[in-house]
Amino acid sequence: MAIEKKEQSKISEFIDSDLFKGLLPFIGLVVILGVMYWLTEGRIAQPKRMRLLLSQVYYPMIVATGVFFIMTLGSIDFTEGSTLGVASIVVSVLSFYNIPLAILGGILTGAAIGAINGFFHVKFKLQSFIVTICTMYLFRGVCAYLTTETAIPASAAIKALDSDNLKISITVAVLVIAFFLFKFTRIGNDVKAVGSGETAARFSGVRTDKVKFLTFVAAGALTGLAAFVNVIKVGSITATAGNQLETQILISLVLGGLPITGGAKVRFSNIIVGTLMYTVLNNGLVMLGFESATQQLIKGIVFLIFVALTIDRKALKVIK
Amino acid sequence: MSEILLQAENIDKRFGITHAVDNVSLNINRGEIRALIGENGSGKSTFCQMLCGIYTIGGGKFILDGQEMHVKNQVEANKMGVSIIVQEMGTLSGLTVAENIFLGHEDPFMNHGIKNTRAMIREGQKLLDEYGFNNIKAGAMIDNYNFEDRKLVEIVKATYMKPKILIVDETTTALSQNGRLELYKIMDAVRADNRSVIFISHDLGEILEHCDTISILRDGEYIDTVNSKDVNEDDLKRLMVGREIGSAYYRTDYGKPISDEVVLTVKNVTVPGQIEDVNFELHRGEILGFGGLSECGMHEIGKAVFGASWDRQGDVVLADGTEITNIPQAIRHSIAYASKDRDNESVILNESIRNNIILPSIEDLANKHVLSAGKLNHFAKEFADKMQTKMQGINQFVSDLSGGNKQKVVLARWLGKGSDILVLDSPTRGIDVKVKQAIYALMSELTAQGKSIIMISEEIPELLGMSDRIMIMKDGKINGTFMRSESLSEEDLIAKMV
Repeated sequence: MAIEKKEQSKISEFIDSDLFKGLLPFIGLVVILGVMYWLTEGRIAQPKRMRLLLSQVYYPMIVATGVFFIMTLGSIDFTEGSTLGVASIVVSVLSFYNIPLAILGGILTGAAIGAINGFFHVKFKLQSFIVTICTMYLFRGVCAYLTTETAIPASAAIKALDSDNLKISITVAVLVIAFFLFKFTRIGNDVKAVGSGETAARFSGVRTDKVKFLTFVAAGALTGLAAFVNVIKVGSITATAGNQLETQILISLVLGGLPITGGAKVRFSNIIVGTLMYTVLNNGLVMLGFESATQQLIKGIVFLIFVALTIDRKALKVIK
Repeated sequence: MSEILLQAENIDKRFGITHAVDNVSLNINRGEIRALIGENGSGKSTFCQMLCGIYTIGGGKFILDGQEMHVKNQVEANKMGVSIIVQEMGTLSGLTVAENIFLGHEDPFMNHGIKNTRAMIREGQKLLDEYGFNNIKAGAMIDNYNFEDRKLVEIVKATYMKPKILIVDETTTALSQNGRLELYKIMDAVRADNRSVIFISHDLGEILEHCDTISILRDGEYIDTVNSKDVNEDDLKRLMVGREIGSAYYRTDYGKPISDEVVLTVKNVTVPGQIEDVNFELHRGEILGFGGLSECGMHEIGKAVFGASWDRQGDVVLADGTEITNIPQAIRHSIAYASKDRDNESVILNESIRNNIILPSIEDLANKHVLSAGKLNHFAKEFADKMQTKMQGINQFVSDLSGGNKQKVVLARWLGKGSDILVLDSPTRGIDVKVKQAIYALMSELTAQGKSIIMISEEIPELLGMSDRIMIMKDGKINGTFMRSESLSEEDLIAKMV
């Protein structure tokens, strides 16, 4: 009895250890890949499937990179989906004039929405959770209003750009630049410091308000860039563009091992592992022929388990 | 009735690899005030927290009044007659004073599941009046009161049901002189009633004055119990540390001239509700002490100089004419600040020692904005080692460290930054003798290098022992200035505080 108890506490100690939390996403990815390979009798690994799978990774990974920084702050953002929708409309409309202008328009639209979120979060000291839920409905509404009559088409010129090479290049470029900023400049340190202890960070000279505002602007801009990648892929924008993207990103990052409290224990690999894991899980469930309701149920359960395992219990606090 | 009230037999507790309490046995008699002393991490708090049900007992047993204790939580411990007043905030905000006092003991006021608020407030007020705290209203929200008044509410909460054993865990550091006197009165009353007090404090003077017997712990082990009247402070320090503490505790020099060079001028500084029209100059190489009662505004002086006050009026100007208005600018112009609220305002608890140390210096360490991990690690290690921080490595999280080591991390950070003006608010609060000694030595070393220190302190001996000049504050204003002198006494300072 006593021995059993000891072993139990060893197991729970292991679950709380940083090593386990760091390894868990990789183990999870391998397990989910393995299970899906087995269940689909290898069909998921067919080249055709793999390409399809990859094509679903690009724009969520770009968006997740921005949200990664927001969640490192200990904040949260629910506007990715509606931002993607509105920015995609801007990109589509502008694509009839000039492609670089369309890209720039998308990025600026995203940055503007990020600035609105950041402004209310920082200046009015509202929790990001509340602010972004409000703006999510606001811009979802804008998106629906602009597409009520008919779907908004993009120009043929922009659709002609659709190629894996371009999308891979953009995604890799975003990841490399973000990794550099996170790891080798003070930006990463400042963002983590705010997430771990905002007051102490302020007293150590971090301009916390500025850091928070600019992070929201940058994340919005990245979603605007993702809108371009989305438009060249889908070609025309309907009211449902980017629907539920915010939950997909949130789940991806948490599957990737990002503690929802943010702070010191985030890892850049969370973005990549998480997005891949979500995509494999999602595709596998579709291939296995689950109805969408059942898919949601399964995703919900997996998500809950991961949050419970990865959360940093020492740093428990309300999401800012 | 036996003389012995509480027997602790072979009490033991481990946290992972740390042996926090190592097979401790001791007895506490009826009607005595027993001090429990030891350095940070010696196991005294852990011992008491097992006694009052906050931690589970790792091994051994407590026998109270001949009956073995099997308590699972604090409420059960209360019912058996053990209650505790802690160092940190022990009241819950959002509740009234009365609700806080009777938390966990609401039954007498319940009528078929409905709380009789009026009766509870009436009883609460009666208790507060009995204790002489009639400025506190039982029906008011606890949030309307300051830290010190809340502590008084906690004292009522812990003592009104006449516990057999009252544990006072480093409570006095949170109290001003007046609050301390109230607490001592209550402790004396418990003793007079043939009940007992366990008193934990780092202030040895206070212990010798108010306790009957003193038990010493070191590294989780029980060392000895002595009578207060048989020992002096040096004996206690020796017992705690296990070796002779040198005489260089405070400074011993007197009559050192203060440089004429002014490094910082504070002109007509007002922070609404905190300080009013404060003026002073800080000279090169001096330690300028600030003292007063806890609400006198002295802590706000530190924030004002560091550019951290909200809504500050007036000027803080450096020798070269630079005005300090915000924190990043203060840091850039070589001002450092260690807050009294160490866990919130000084260290980032959920971060590594490394990242805490490099934070203000990141820009200096970057090469055209690009950071190198090797350089950062080297920097953090150099200054953590210089402060002799007890750690497993620079990647250990600050939350794992003791109070003294956290403060070392804070000082390492500012040493690394090379700041010339250091604002240290309560630099040795809750810190043991050995680290205290190290901090005082560092302060002397820094001033010898020409750096200037503003030391804000609630400890009068510390002010007398370390400062070149002392300013005493009262009601947000400077009420008296003293020069360092052997003839200056505690009474001189207290006279200006109250």
